[in-house]
Amino acid sequence: MIKKVLIANRGEIAVRIIRACREMGIETVAVYSEADKEALHTQLADEAYCIGGAPSADSYLNMEQIISATIVSGADAIHPGFGFLSENHKFAELCEKCNIIFIGPSAEVIRKLGDKSQARNTMIEAKVPVIPGSNEPIFEAEEALKAAEKIGYPVIVKAALGGGGKGMRVAATEDELENAFQTAQKEAKAAFGDGTMYMEHFIQHPKHIEFQILADKYGNVVHLGERDCSIQKNHQKLIEESPCVAISEELREKMGEAAVKAAKAAQYENAGTIEFLLEETGEFYFMEMNTRIQVEHPVTEWVTGIDLIKEQIRIASGNELAYKQEDIHLTGHSIECRINAKTPGTITDMYLPGGKGVRIDSAIYSGYTVTPYYDSMLAKLIVFAKNREEAIMKMRSTLGEVIIEGIETNVDYQYEILNDADYFAGNYNIEFIAEKEEELLRHEAI
Amino acid sequence: MKLSSMFKKPNQKKYISLTESQNAIERTVSPEVPEGLWKKCNECKSAIMTEDVKNGYYICPKCGHYFRMHAMNRIKMIADSDTFEEWDTGLTSGNPLNYRGYEEKVQALREKTGLDEAVVTGKAKIDGREVVLAACDGRFMMASMGKVVGEKITRAVERATTEKLPVVIFACSGGARMQEGIHSLMQMSKTSAALKRHHDAGQLYISVLTDPTTGGVTASFAMLGDIILAEPKALIGFAGPRVIEQTIGQQLPEGFQRAEFLLEHGFIDKIVERKDMRDTISQIIQLHEKGEIQDSVLQDPEHLNLQQEYNHNVTAWERVQLSRKQERPVGTDYISELFTDFMEFHGDRYYRDDKAIVGGIARFRGMPVTVIAQAKGKNTKENIERNYGMPSPDGYRKALRLMKQAEKFGRPIICFVDTPGAFCGIEAEERGQGEAIARNLYEMSGIKVPIVSIIIGEGGSGGALAMATSDEVWVLENSIYSILSPEGFASILWKDSSLAQEAAGVMKLTAQHLKKTGIVEQVFAEPEEFTVDTLKEVTAKMELYLAAFIEKYTKLSAQELVDNRYERFRKM
Repeated sequence: MIKKVLIANRGEIAVRIIRACREMGIETVAVYSEADKEALHTQLADEAYCIGGAPSADSYLNMEQIISATIVSGADAIHPGFGFLSENHKFAELCEKCNIIFIGPSAEVIRKLGDKSQARNTMIEAKVPVIPGSNEPIFEAEEALKAAEKIGYPVIVKAALGGGGKGMRVAATEDELENAFQTAQKEAKAAFGDGTMYMEHFIQHPKHIEFQILADKYGNVVHLGERDCSIQKNHQKLIEESPCVAISEELREKMGEAAVKAAKAAQYENAGTIEFLLEETGEFYFMEMNTRIQVEHPVTEWVTGIDLIKEQIRIASGNELAYKQEDIHLTGHSIECRINAKTPGTITDMYLPGGKGVRIDSAIYSGYTVTPYYDSMLAKLIVFAKNREEAIMKMRSTLGEVIIEGIETNVDYQYEILNDADYFAGNYNIEFIAEKEEELLRHEAI
Repeated sequence: MKLSSMFKKPNQKKYISLTESQNAIERTVSPEVPEGLWKKCNECKSAIMTEDVKNGYYICPKCGHYFRMHAMNRIKMIADSDTFEEWDTGLTSGNPLNYRGYEEKVQALREKTGLDEAVVTGKAKIDGREVVLAACDGRFMMASMGKVVGEKITRAVERATTEKLPVVIFACSGGARMQEGIHSLMQMSKTSAALKRHHDAGQLYISVLTDPTTGGVTASFAMLGDIILAEPKALIGFAGPRVIEQTIGQQLPEGFQRAEFLLEHGFIDKIVERKDMRDTISQIIQLHEKGEIQDSVLQDPEHLNLQQEYNHNVTAWERVQLSRKQERPVGTDYISELFTDFMEFHGDRYYRDDKAIVGGIARFRGMPVTVIAQAKGKNTKENIERNYGMPSPDGYRKALRLMKQAEKFGRPIICFVDTPGAFCGIEAEERGQGEAIARNLYEMSGIKVPIVSIIIGEGGSGGALAMATSDEVWVLENSIYSILSPEGFASILWKDSSLAQEAAGVMKLTAQHLKKTGIVEQVFAEPEEFTVDTLKEVTAKMELYLAAFIEKYTKLSAQELVDNRYERFRKM
């Protein structure tokens, strides 16, 4: 059994893990950079070790220092949190070599799932739906037409060396494709000097849906339902909720099964997340698997009643899962809003709300200084209510109470999203922010 | 608010585990770092993963410091896999001085390193081409050169000469091996003599200097490469820095005797990062293979009937100004427009690398050629660095060194001339500007490969001539070529430099006059706005003429070539 855990992270997730460990009777070791001497995680843990300078590369990414701190402190496990070294297979391998329990999947699994094409092939073999595409490069419009028949319209043509939207075209029909292919190829040749093209099925207005899974050493896998993370700005999630309004019980079962299949195919162990794109038609496609705890894990915790951090530690200790799939039920509705700093600075005053069904995971306090070195997330507001409408009302109320003085935050922006009619109606997909950006900013300014 | 000691924490001894379970695995091993998993960088002192170092060219992933490499790893990094065949193992030197404990020490090192001496020699392939490869190994008495090292290098070079193979030696050494006394010293002459024979047989030797290359090895085989490469920051010198400091009683400046210092002082051709070393060596070897022009022009001489439209409404003085115009393409522009695979080589091997002259090997229509250009800068900063295209004696000596190599390897030479004149200054006189120019005229007249010089801007006096004692000299329509600048001419003859404009008129320095009087063979028309953007209009024609020149002149025997060149100037 794990007796002492070193938390190789900072901020609210480090605090979250320290709390879980403390409740389990496990000793905690924090590591901190020179900029985080006064940080909450540093002060809250049973012991703390400084591992280097403020830049992440010198501290929270400094594998050798973290391993040394683990050995010196006598910890027997490392919880990597999210970000930093959490999905670094070399770090996981290093832990394995040094007889340190890495709370997460094995180095090999992290490596395989981190390799996009290898992960895709694994999923194809396991019959988990992936976005249909041409596996071979395409050079001629004729080949493209043939491939499109198999893939299914609409299709998107992409340059092999593409980036920044150059050499990319969508075609809804056969008639459009020839022209689209040639334009895209011409553009690709001009921009990258190479006309090698690929094509895949184009997913219109998808939702970003992810399934939380838990898997133990003994091959048992359960899924804990989904999270809708479609409210994103520049690929950064802003709001997550569970369950998703667009998913029927039947679809949940289907997607959940696929998620479990995916985890089994990857021989996954510990907590993980399978990301899907969900089309309006109800078709869904595997995107990738995240081999770590997620920022948005609290919404799942609330609707399932399962403490994911504690489960991670139990699984890493070699315990068998205490749940079967039929024991997992989603009850009520939970929403999370990420509160981010827009600028570095010192928080001069603050008030964070509470009350029934309100949870705040954070590491800030009055007098805390936000440095430019790390992620800008200050706090996660999570609410729980018996249904979505009530949850939204609660979140509006909660956001309205938040006071953070001294730095600029996105609280008002989040408040505007929660008051959007389409959001309230559950009528949104990953394009939501891009489409509404102007309107949201205008309201936020008022 | 300060959080220090604000929180209540449970007394750890009273922790009660809530999670005991029958399934939980009891651990019998405790965390520890296995032996050899990581090491400490001796430069930045960070702990670094041994595997990262091995997979990353033996460079510290944190600070970029180059670790010394074992000979076999070096060979693995350079040679095609499984192509290395080791030569001359098992040689011994005995103990010529009967130095106490020497044999035991050598024996112990053999067991510890698995090497039989401080150098590994043999044959390998690099991108499919056979080479003789030698690598010193610092673990073996700091790769000092005793009889065995000297013998192995000598044998490898001799065999390379016989088998007509290039030699690549990775040097690293503390110098001659003290324990073998005067016998070690003799190895310096022995290895050098073998390399001289290799040179005389027209064969290539690439020397790579790694940290540290000092003493008797620097003063013999290491410094004798046709091409000398070095790894960044490698310590290279004859006397060690500590010895120098003690002798002169001064502290040495930062960077003294490092590869960069040697590059600046003209002793190495190029500093190459480890990750590029294999490709660089491979490219050098390929550029030293004999080649021919692709797409013969002479077979279809129609190509050469080009319409050259000259602009006759330009005064001599206007041409002088055009030849000096800032926007005018410079030597390096021509190099990138006309050639491929250009690899620049530096240094005169005496004192300095002169940036006013850029030279190296490139391919012209697939054929390896030597290209040397007097290089003006493209802006003020570059011009200061390149001394406004005014070469120092070091520049002319570099040019001559590169020409001599072209001669050795049978490569035609293409010179681009563009200088207001040879640099006029104290240092230039101290190092013999006059001698350097004279030497070039003298040596160029006898070089046994074709030389063409193209005056692309200013052809300023002796400074231009030192790169234009050639088989043919070509000019651009608005280039000038003269005994002196018009300003200088006016000042000497008329005691008034402001009469430069008139001087330009009487000096007959324009392309038409030069062509008419047989000073030059070819004049290329220029577009109205002559810049890098319109350079192609000139180089398109120039390329055809160059191809024809090379085809025509490479057909001549060395004697015919030299005789023609002699006659060319004899009749002037």
